[in-house]
Amino acid sequence: MRKKGLSLVTALSILSALVWLAGLAWVLQDQFFADNINRQAETLKPDTAQQQKEDSSGKTLQIAAIGDSLTRGTGDPDGKGYIGYLKEDLAKKTKKRIELTNSAIKGQTSVQLLKQIQQPQIKRQIKNADVILLTIGGNDLFRGGQALEELESKTINKTEDVYLSNLKAIYKKIRMLNKNGIIYHVGLYNPFSDMQDSKTTSSIVRKWNYDSANAAAAQPNIIYVPTFDLFELNVNDYLYSDHFHPNKQGYQLIGERTASLIHFREEDQK
Amino acid sequence: MNKLVHNELLKLFRKKRLFVIILIIAALVPLFTYAQYQEVKTTREKLGNVDWRTQLQQEIVDTQNRLSSSRMQDDWRKYLKIRLAQQQYYLDHNINPQAPGAPTFMRVFVENSIDLLLPLLVMVVAADLVSSEASGGTIKLLLTRPVKRWRILLSKYLALILSVSFIVTASAVLSYAISGVVFGYGGWGMPLLTGFSTSGEELVTNTVHLIPQWQYILMEFGLVWFVCLVVGTLTFMLSVLLRSTAAVMGIMLAALIAGAILSNMVSSWESAKYLFMVNLSLTDYISGMATPIEGMSLGFSLIVLLVWAIGGLVVSFAVFTKKDVY
Repeated sequence: MRKKGLSLVTALSILSALVWLAGLAWVLQDQFFADNINRQAETLKPDTAQQQKEDSSGKTLQIAAIGDSLTRGTGDPDGKGYIGYLKEDLAKKTKKRIELTNSAIKGQTSVQLLKQIQQPQIKRQIKNADVILLTIGGNDLFRGGQALEELESKTINKTEDVYLSNLKAIYKKIRMLNKNGIIYHVGLYNPFSDMQDSKTTSSIVRKWNYDSANAAAAQPNIIYVPTFDLFELNVNDYLYSDHFHPNKQGYQLIGERTASLIHFREEDQK
Repeated sequence: MNKLVHNELLKLFRKKRLFVIILIIAALVPLFTYAQYQEVKTTREKLGNVDWRTQLQQEIVDTQNRLSSSRMQDDWRKYLKIRLAQQQYYLDHNINPQAPGAPTFMRVFVENSIDLLLPLLVMVVAADLVSSEASGGTIKLLLTRPVKRWRILLSKYLALILSVSFIVTASAVLSYAISGVVFGYGGWGMPLLTGFSTSGEELVTNTVHLIPQWQYILMEFGLVWFVCLVVGTLTFMLSVLLRSTAAVMGIMLAALIAGAILSNMVSSWESAKYLFMVNLSLTDYISGMATPIEGMSLGFSLIVLLVWAIGGLVVSFAVFTKKDVY
């Protein structure tokens, strides 16, 4: 018995030594001498059949959120952001299951967003969504444009032109992917409305909002949600300590307002 | 020669070393299986969504958000960028990197045990191959036989190679068989990406190609086998040099654990890359992880390990054939 066991183990060991040696040789061949590189990379294209709309039944409400730190929820100690409060509000209104994907990235500008929505997965999310939430422009205006330091109208106008053309491209792209979903574009507010030069900054933000709303109106089913008025008075009560992003209360205001715009047909209501 | 090797294997077999190792692996694998299972479960619960694409997209977005934070160390940022490019590639090509299944578990298991667990198990066998004969006094009986000393040592070394192969196979078979109960036995054909290399901050993807998972696993086990052989050889050398098995074990253990610690903090001490213990994680090159020190590559690590192993062999044979036995 013992002898048999030993010869079995020996045979197995010799066999496995050969197998693992082959594995090692394969590593060398594959990693160093692969002239067949890229041979398979092309053959395995994304499975388009799987990327079709997967859940189009009336049971779930798909929300795709894209944009910048506002959608991300920066400044909210709970990390929910306005979409978190919006989701809570919606859950009270409907019995549908709410599926939310948040693909927003802090500090994203309109150029970067335009690039991001070219990615296949983001495209897929947008394609499947019933509701699309969007915030953009804040970083274009306040950082890239340096609205605070140079209030020269020339520079601001230039930045705005770039932003508007990007925004139009973003709208167009989303519409191309998703014909029926409703886009809610949450507008800009002026975080500096209690500072000096507030008249100038406010008028710039108002102009951006006005032009964005015009661009939104040019396409069907894009709702431009104003937030400027929410923060106009008592701006400090609604801003986070960085004096730029909203705090919990600020996000709640935006969430409530946006949620109130999302309507359900009778049979879906609770 | 065959008889000598057989004789050595018989000794190992009698000492029940291989049996103990199999028991250790068989006890650990269910533990890891359970941990992996819990992890899969919690991520699913957290997202409330079983679609891995959404999950992966979420991971990508999270990584991007972390990258935009300004308080971050440079090497961590670099790592995240590489990870990001890789995740994006998986997503674009519709490849699920976490697809549960026994082969996937095997892969994860072997990637995590290559630098510590498996070398430790090999050490258990290799540590007392020679030193136990010295401390037990049986070496005199062995050397009085009309066989040349180098042949005796060679037979011991061959026995070591065979047991290392056996250990690697046992861990492969056991991890597959046990984890399959939970995850299912399928998933061998799943395509995986390899050929990632990093130069500076860039993830070089022009050599990236897809291979089926079975080939990937075979390659990884080939590397594991090589690492185990190198560690085994070095332990073997110490076993020749020292009479005390405990000392051999202690030194090897310290070296291996030092390697695990060093890999996490040597990013600025460049010459540390010539130490064998920071080069053990060979599978990281296959899966495209960041290297602990810049300038390390698969070829580099293989050569460093090979040089150490050859050095170990030369020392053991030189010492064993010359040394006085009393």
